[in-house]
Amino acid sequence: MTDIVRENAVPPAAVKRGATPTQRMLQIAFARSDFRIGLIGFGLLVGLAILLPLVSSIDPVKIAYSSKLLPPFPAEGWKWPYLLGTDQLGRDVLMRCLVGLRYSLLIGVTTVVLMFIVGCSLGLYAGFRGGWADAVIMRLTDAQLSIPMIILAITILGVSRPTVPAIILVLGLSGWPLYARVARSVALGERNRGYVLGERVLGASDLRIMLLFVAPVVLPPIAFVAVLDIARMMIFESILGFLGLGVQPPTPTFGNVIADARKYLLNAWWIATMPGLFMLVSLTCLNLMGSALERARNAVLRGEA
Amino acid sequence: MSGPILAVSNLGVELQRAGKTRRVVDDVGFALAPGEVLGLVGEAGSGKSVLARALVRAISSPLEIVSGKVVFEGKDILSADRRELMAIRGNRIGFIGANPMGSLDPRLSIGSQIVEKLRSVKPGIGRAEAREKVLELFGRVRIPSPDARFHEAPFQFSGGMMQRVMIVDALVSDPSLVIADNITQPLDVTVAAQIIRLIDDLRQSLGTAFLFISSSLPVVAQIAERTLVMQRGRIVEEGRTEDIAANPGQAYTRTLISRIPPIWNNVSAPVATEAEAVLKIDNVTRTYRVRRRNTFNGFNAVKAIRGVSFTVKARENFGIVGESGCGKSTLTRLLAWLEQPDSGCIAFLGKDLSQLSSRSLTEFRKSFQLLLQDPYGSLPANMPVQRMIEEPLLIHGVGKAEAARLAQEAMAEVGLSMEFAERLPVGLSAGQRQRINIARALVLKPQLLILDETLSALDQVEQAELLDLFTRLQATHGFSYVFISHDLALVRRMCHRIAVMYLGRIVELADNATLFEHPHHPYTRALLSAMPTLEDNRFPRSRYLLDGEPPSPIELPSGCSFRSRCPRAQGDCQRIDPPLLVIDGGNAAACLHMHEALTEKETADVE
Repeated sequence: MTDIVRENAVPPAAVKRGATPTQRMLQIAFARSDFRIGLIGFGLLVGLAILLPLVSSIDPVKIAYSSKLLPPFPAEGWKWPYLLGTDQLGRDVLMRCLVGLRYSLLIGVTTVVLMFIVGCSLGLYAGFRGGWADAVIMRLTDAQLSIPMIILAITILGVSRPTVPAIILVLGLSGWPLYARVARSVALGERNRGYVLGERVLGASDLRIMLLFVAPVVLPPIAFVAVLDIARMMIFESILGFLGLGVQPPTPTFGNVIADARKYLLNAWWIATMPGLFMLVSLTCLNLMGSALERARNAVLRGEA
Repeated sequence: MSGPILAVSNLGVELQRAGKTRRVVDDVGFALAPGEVLGLVGEAGSGKSVLARALVRAISSPLEIVSGKVVFEGKDILSADRRELMAIRGNRIGFIGANPMGSLDPRLSIGSQIVEKLRSVKPGIGRAEAREKVLELFGRVRIPSPDARFHEAPFQFSGGMMQRVMIVDALVSDPSLVIADNITQPLDVTVAAQIIRLIDDLRQSLGTAFLFISSSLPVVAQIAERTLVMQRGRIVEEGRTEDIAANPGQAYTRTLISRIPPIWNNVSAPVATEAEAVLKIDNVTRTYRVRRRNTFNGFNAVKAIRGVSFTVKARENFGIVGESGCGKSTLTRLLAWLEQPDSGCIAFLGKDLSQLSSRSLTEFRKSFQLLLQDPYGSLPANMPVQRMIEEPLLIHGVGKAEAARLAQEAMAEVGLSMEFAERLPVGLSAGQRQRINIARALVLKPQLLILDETLSALDQVEQAELLDLFTRLQATHGFSYVFISHDLALVRRMCHRIAVMYLGRIVELADNATLFEHPHHPYTRALLSAMPTLEDNRFPRSRYLLDGEPPSPIELPSGCSFRSRCPRAQGDCQRIDPPLLVIDGGNAAACLHMHEALTEKETADVE
């Protein structure tokens, strides 16, 4: 029965170079409306965060007591150009949110890229090599996983100054073991595949096999899931900011803005709410994209596409 | 009881796909008498398995039964309702498939699964009675110590034992018909021969009729009285098996028979010649340490290769045969230097590979190449074909343009059309994929090619084409080949000298003619006797076929490791482990009593 089905299923048409699994995943994701919504929303936010502070004349850190605690746009008493109102020191909330979003994105994306590179290369190496390298790297990841992120953050950021690179380092340190584990488990499976053996016979070095053959199989699926991790890292960044371990004032970040605005929650709710809203929207967009990519990946792996 | 138990007439099955319909089974009609064994032969894709399923109406979309009648014990299966069908399928008609390892739930003991099956088709039977029945059948199919094995899980069984379990599963409800679909295909020759002998015994004692389906006429000829030949969904020939084999009436049957390579009758076996040595293996051993279960730090030593020595000469085809578990794959990995031997020496062109620096080893690798068995897994999935063939050259530092030119030359030489150059391997046939693999080896201009079951995934036609290709390449490039295979017919056709392996050791090493015509070792004879062939087997099964399976390589018998299955084991075999004893003409066998074996061979010839 299988013989017959196979005989009929052979597609005589040429399979072009383009139809790699990765590209099929992207095609499927693009066809989904949730992915498009996420992409458009996220694109708008990023565009705003990058461009608006550059072209606007409003300084997000300049104090102006004359215009303090102005409410946002539709409410009574709002004033142009403070669309989202001002805070207790008269600074524009919109601009502060956008600058906060900039830092949040910068830290989130850089951290994930760092975690991805470090975690995946270590995991790939461990899984592919096996033996001692595997044992050592995996015990290291276990050790790293056993340290809670917040304690690590307090220790490192409390001792040194909490600068942007330091924050990225802390978040990256606490996140890479997961990537290492996933990459290792996939690489373990690939290690004994026929094509790896074939390359060995041809005389290829381990590095060549890993980079040219195993990595293209192992990494793209992980990269898709990593999109979801950007959102997680953005949340961690604002938690650190809220605790006072993030980027230090006067630079506004989601975390420290919300922490400062807690005292004014009752009479000036917008100061704390607006950064929260920005976070909500950007994280939702990211998650929409991430989960659409993940579904597309599963569809491809199950052979539906 | 007279009259057929199964009468099929005008049966038609259609395949519907993308708006098109195709007849997969077309106007098939035959009858099967009680207790008869009917063979069904045809190439892959001729519709045999679909027919087998249609007989019990186990057909689902996109396939559809469009016409015909299947009358089983007076009842038309195709028009029966669900309840009637349930009373027949699995109860009056048993089914044995080609995948014994995948047929049972891996978590439950095999005994309980068969008891459950029996009780579901025959609700009247009590648990204890069902258990009795299953145990009795385990005994009849010669599963050793049935009481203990009743409680074991499927993974504890070897493929051959599992196929016996599947036979029990089919026979447990006392069916009057069993459909056996390609049951010997996944098994080693000796085990397959045991299974066939077993089925022959069973149907004589139980009076069950068998529909025996296989793609190989020699396999069917061992057991079936009558045979149907199927081509593209139609029965093209029907008759007594001997008549079909001796004078086929149809052109198709003649082609089928002409593709079966001869073993003894009019063969021109390749004759060994003298030449300088290319590969020299000297007393190589390889032992794996496997963690022992239920111990903290215990290891078992699996002796995969135990002191193997041989020499491959220039332009020679050297064959290595043996059943699964004999150490063939380990030896392959050692020969290709993917693993290193624990002791002993592998020398290529006079240089000991273990003494080479890693750089000169990489350089050396160009001259010995391995072709792998699995044509699907051995190619990277997202690389275009030409790039794949350039890959070995790029590894060894050839420039891009030069590599492209050489790759295109190689593609032409192995018969790959240039239109494949930019395509991914998806959708290429097994034969085309193996051609890519050959091209990848070829561009490096090797001197020795190791073929690890390279052709076993291909059908007869593709196999023959690739063998021609190998011969042509040998003539133009002067390659030496090492064929590692379980297929004796292939080895008979291609190899100058052949080594027979058993439990990690060479038990006989001889030139082609000696090995097939005057083998000295009892194991070689057993292998030959198990070989399905249309010719009169020179080593009749009643005399030479072995029982049981090889012992575990962890606990080898003392002395000669073959003695636990050897028909002529004597007291001294227990004490002395025979080395390869030289006979004459460079042939050798590892048997203390091989001269007795010789005399017995003479009596066999007289018979």
